[in-house]
Amino acid sequence: MLKLNQDDNIVSIKDAVLCEVARLAFEGRLDEEKDSLPYQMIPGPKAMFRCCIYKEREIIRQRIRLAEGKAPGAGTHSANIVQVISSACEECTLGHYQVTDNCRRCVSKKCQSACRFDAITMESNRAHINMDKCKECGKCAQACPYHAIVDLTRPCKRACPVDAISWDKESGIVRIDEKKCIQCGACIESCPFGAIGSRTFMVDVIRLILSGKRVVALPAPAGEGQFGQGITMGSLAKGLKELGFSDVVEVALGADLTAAYEAEEWAEAYQNGQKKVTSCCPAFVNMVKKHFPALLPNVSTTVSPMCAVSRMVKARDPEAITVFIGPCVAKKDEVLDLALHGNADYVLTYNELQCMFEARNIVLTPEAEAIQQGSVYGKRFANSGGVTAAVVQALKEKEENADVNVMVLNGARECKKALALLRAGKLPADFAEGMACEGGCVAGPGCAKCEFDSRKDRQALLAQADSRKIWENLEEHVDLESFSMHRE
Amino acid sequence: MTITICIGSSCHLKGSREVIACFQKLISEKDLAGQIQLAGDFCSGSCAQGVVVTVDGRDVYSVSPDTARSFFENTILPGLA
Repeated sequence: MLKLNQDDNIVSIKDAVLCEVARLAFEGRLDEEKDSLPYQMIPGPKAMFRCCIYKEREIIRQRIRLAEGKAPGAGTHSANIVQVISSACEECTLGHYQVTDNCRRCVSKKCQSACRFDAITMESNRAHINMDKCKECGKCAQACPYHAIVDLTRPCKRACPVDAISWDKESGIVRIDEKKCIQCGACIESCPFGAIGSRTFMVDVIRLILSGKRVVALPAPAGEGQFGQGITMGSLAKGLKELGFSDVVEVALGADLTAAYEAEEWAEAYQNGQKKVTSCCPAFVNMVKKHFPALLPNVSTTVSPMCAVSRMVKARDPEAITVFIGPCVAKKDEVLDLALHGNADYVLTYNELQCMFEARNIVLTPEAEAIQQGSVYGKRFANSGGVTAAVVQALKEKEENADVNVMVLNGARECKKALALLRAGKLPADFAEGMACEGGCVAGPGCAKCEFDSRKDRQALLAQADSRKIWENLEEHVDLESFSMHRE
Repeated sequence: MTITICIGSSCHLKGSREVIACFQKLISEKDLAGQIQLAGDFCSGSCAQGVVVTVDGRDVYSVSPDTARSFFENTILPGLA
């Protein structure tokens, strides 16, 4: 049992719950022990990080439900992957712009002249913002030479690229508009109280492994660097097999497939004068579906690397259960779209995997023998710009015109702007690579390690990869006739 | 119309994947992709009821690989009209 203490942060509380749930699921005792788990983790009598042990236990209870794949509130049901842990929401202040003690009630009153809505008055010791008039434009905060006006927008609301966050007027507890949410997970990372999380397939995957089914792990290209120095795909594969997965196939191989077929699609679209956007980032595709539906015909019909590699595995072994493991929360949503046949059956994040390793006391160690299934171009799919580089490489290999005009959209905000331009017929590029996470998948909300901490190890590992080409790799390792690479 | 099929481990072991494949095949044969959305769902805890299938988020049915075809023809198709 992991003991929580006062200095623990959100990450360690979240991980402790995932780890305990994984441990109990592996031991087949989850159903009988999950009710007592909050009491074991928060023994009391003193509260450690919230007002009282009852609140702390309720937070643990809701986190257990999320780990089991359920909505955190008992008796509620929703299909959204991203969920609010209502007991953990601190109901942050609702006023956006506030004047602080730094205000010197100066003579120039730059805030007042900057405000176009006449919302600022001078009180006896500082400026005052009339909330009825304030339109939250932020001009006053920019104008103040003393930084005396602060923006107190809720972190979750500020992080959301599609304005899906609001709150209950009476309780102040945050709400996610599921019609708008693209499942990117930016709000999960932003909340300083850990009040937003994602449902997991962890218990399902563990139960299927225990049932004796052939469960195949598909680790995503962001894997290199996630587990530290020298932990190659080979080291990761060894650990995954110790957990009970029957086989391991790198999704970088699927990325090679996607790059190769996307290149063909781009070459054709270019001739027809049609603009295309990539289809591999599920949060970006959700953004198109929910916020720019008129642009759906512009989304490449080539399937994502996850779907490609899952179809490849199922073409060889139709009984196999495929589990994608990556840094992404939105991938969990992609597998719920059953119109897409052959896609991965389940999705885990690297963070959830790390907790599963901990639950089974598995320590990854550097392996002498290298296993490489994807080319280095496929492996770099996980970095912003990596998809473009791989598609351009695939075009070159087929001696197609590789001098294409591509825009790399790094992060959801850039994606949103470019899609608006495309809708207006004003996108300057012919193709666009959309990634909802700034920096690419390596900075995703489901990472085991943040991008800053994993970067150096990742670069060192990728530098060791051999220089095989995309088509060379596919022709040698994949039966390209055995499955389709397009959405039907 | 949205048909939601539980893909939790219990329903998986009872054949949710066969049920999904059967629906996918029938939708494609009868050219209903524009009218029916197929979606997976996390476990809702009603594991005893076999493969849990929900129609439009309201009506919950218990379906098995053996009854999938007749369920589609007798329950789903009449509801489309």
